[in-house]
Amino acid sequence: MKKIIQRSLFLLLISLFFASLWAEEIQLTAVQILGKADDVINAPQDQDLKIKLILIDKKGKEKVREMSMLQKGSDKRLVKFLSPADQKGIAFLSLPDDVMYLYMPAFKKIRRIASHVKNTKFAGTDFTYEDMEAVRYSDKYIPEFIEKKDNHFLLQLTPKEGIKTDYAKLIMWVREDNFYITKIEHYNRGDKLFKIMIRDKIEKIGEYWLARESEMQDLKSKHTTKMIIEEVKLDSEVSDDKFTKRNLEK
Amino acid sequence: MKINYLIFMAVILLILGFSVLNAEPSIDLNGYFQTDNRMLIKDDHNFSWHEYRLDIQLEAYPSDKTHFFSEVWLRTIGKSNIQASSDLSDKEKIVSSNLYFKEAYLDIYGFLCKDLDVRIGRQRITWGTADKLNPTDNLNPDDLEDMWDFGRHLSSDGLQATYYLGDYELSAVYIPKFTPTVLPGGVWATALSPSFDLPTGLVLRNYSDQIIMPENNLKAQSIIGTKFSGNLFNYDLSVSYIYGRDYLPLINKAKFTPVDAFGTIDISAEMIFPRMHIAGFDLAGALGNIGIWAETAVFFPEEIMLSTDLSELGLGIQESVALENEPYIKYVFGGDYTFTNGIYINVQYLHGFIHECGTDSLEDYLMFGLEKKFFEDKLKIMPLNGGLEIKDFNDFKENYAVIYTPEITYYPYDNVELILGTHIIDGKESSTFGKMNDSDDLYFKAKVSF
Repeated sequence: MKKIIQRSLFLLLISLFFASLWAEEIQLTAVQILGKADDVINAPQDQDLKIKLILIDKKGKEKVREMSMLQKGSDKRLVKFLSPADQKGIAFLSLPDDVMYLYMPAFKKIRRIASHVKNTKFAGTDFTYEDMEAVRYSDKYIPEFIEKKDNHFLLQLTPKEGIKTDYAKLIMWVREDNFYITKIEHYNRGDKLFKIMIRDKIEKIGEYWLARESEMQDLKSKHTTKMIIEEVKLDSEVSDDKFTKRNLEK
Repeated sequence: MKINYLIFMAVILLILGFSVLNAEPSIDLNGYFQTDNRMLIKDDHNFSWHEYRLDIQLEAYPSDKTHFFSEVWLRTIGKSNIQASSDLSDKEKIVSSNLYFKEAYLDIYGFLCKDLDVRIGRQRITWGTADKLNPTDNLNPDDLEDMWDFGRHLSSDGLQATYYLGDYELSAVYIPKFTPTVLPGGVWATALSPSFDLPTGLVLRNYSDQIIMPENNLKAQSIIGTKFSGNLFNYDLSVSYIYGRDYLPLINKAKFTPVDAFGTIDISAEMIFPRMHIAGFDLAGALGNIGIWAETAVFFPEEIMLSTDLSELGLGIQESVALENEPYIKYVFGGDYTFTNGIYINVQYLHGFIHECGTDSLEDYLMFGLEKKFFEDKLKIMPLNGGLEIKDFNDFKENYAVIYTPEITYYPYDNVELILGTHIIDGKESSTFGKMNDSDDLYFKAKVSF
């Protein structure tokens, strides 16, 4: 009897040991998946995009905006509004370490923006300033593997300690074949799903994957913003000088 | 007016010239049209402001390294100036209009070396990190035509060169011609005027003055400035220096002339623009999630003596100090925050308003704003906009003014804004804004951008 108990305990310990190793492997896999997803979306050395934004309200009425977006690596982004007339020239610069600037042509002034604006809507769209930042998700979030579903890895992302974000949790869908992020569900601090981002028309341009269309749905207001890439230039050796206050008002 | 139109035509021709020279012309035409009508709340609801403004902005890129920008205002402002039947045949007096050449400058990027940018022409140079009330913003004169449009400045004809070195930049500005401040008109015309303490028994009948402009040469007119900016500990910092003038005139001579034997007098005064050195410092950054800024300027004025000629009253000429050559400090600090429900708040504490000069005349102001957008940003409500003026903390009850300026903006379509608001002042007449406590108004503005 004693031997049976000893063997049972031994087997239990062995099982627990392998279970913990398996869990660690899943954790590692989630980190790897997110790392690969970050690598894929930030693969081009730089991106020079002309984007059409379509704002659709709950009645289906549409408003159109145009902007240019310049990104280098995964942490520098410059966005400039081209239309409509009352927003033309408004420019937003996102730099590492949460440094953000906004240029308002009407005031001829560059304004430093604090992180409290991150959760506010960017120029009336459903994207917030935080969504418009250039980031690597793995720098801000801890991933956890949920499951494989419909040829996608499903990850749950929770913010790392000390990270300022309004999102309590993200559920991310990553394609199995190319690690492209196709969908992100955004949860607020009350753990309620309130925004969904969907990437569509994913195509390969040269050696890089790119979603020609993205959509952000605000579930509460039933408002949607579609982001359509109309022109794209990748790896065009954009200078670091473009991501400066000097260039923000040009 | 003919000269104005000639200037306007010159700008158009300049732009067209660029387009001819440029194989692929890239000219942008933008602007807006805005109506601004205000009426007093009390009594017969007199009109206090009536402005129709067409803003035209032309922008051209003659080459990769050059950029041209110009902005003009075509306006009708005020009311018909009819006093006699003969005026009815003068269209300018019935529907007066004016053209204001706001800006026109040429940018040359990477001039002589790749890190040097130069801007030549009429330009607005915005220094300072605070919100609209900037003690270090002293290169362009204030435009106080509309007292409720805080922070509006005239542009200056000059040259600005900025050298960039990584996160740091060094600017140098040279403005050869001095331009004074535009003072408020309409019901605000007397709000910033200097006040006289008349000796007991004297009653003022007429006041007249003469402005003595700086001599028309480089030494007397020129304004120079330099600023060094950078980033330290994740805060944007800058230090600046200006050798300029106060853009508001100061009385340096006054002559009292008796009119009758009962103490009635006329005063004729002479006013000048004091020279001064101004050292400035500003910062912007964040404390936690709260955006913060601070800005200070130390003014080193030249000493201005006031010569009061009382000889016709039998009291000779008296000399006193109108402005001491002792430094005085203006400062502002503030912060802003957006709550998760979208409510935005902005608070600033200001020591020394635009027109205040000299340690003893500086007052304190607490300015605040709160705004929230509704209906997918179609409606913006600012229910708690305004400020508090404190002239004397020791006798607050007799030396304060409360300013309340709520506003509602409706955006029915892209590029269209409809604004309804009010300016309400309560306070004591000893304070700047308190003097205007009978001028509460209601306003409506419509704006379309193109």
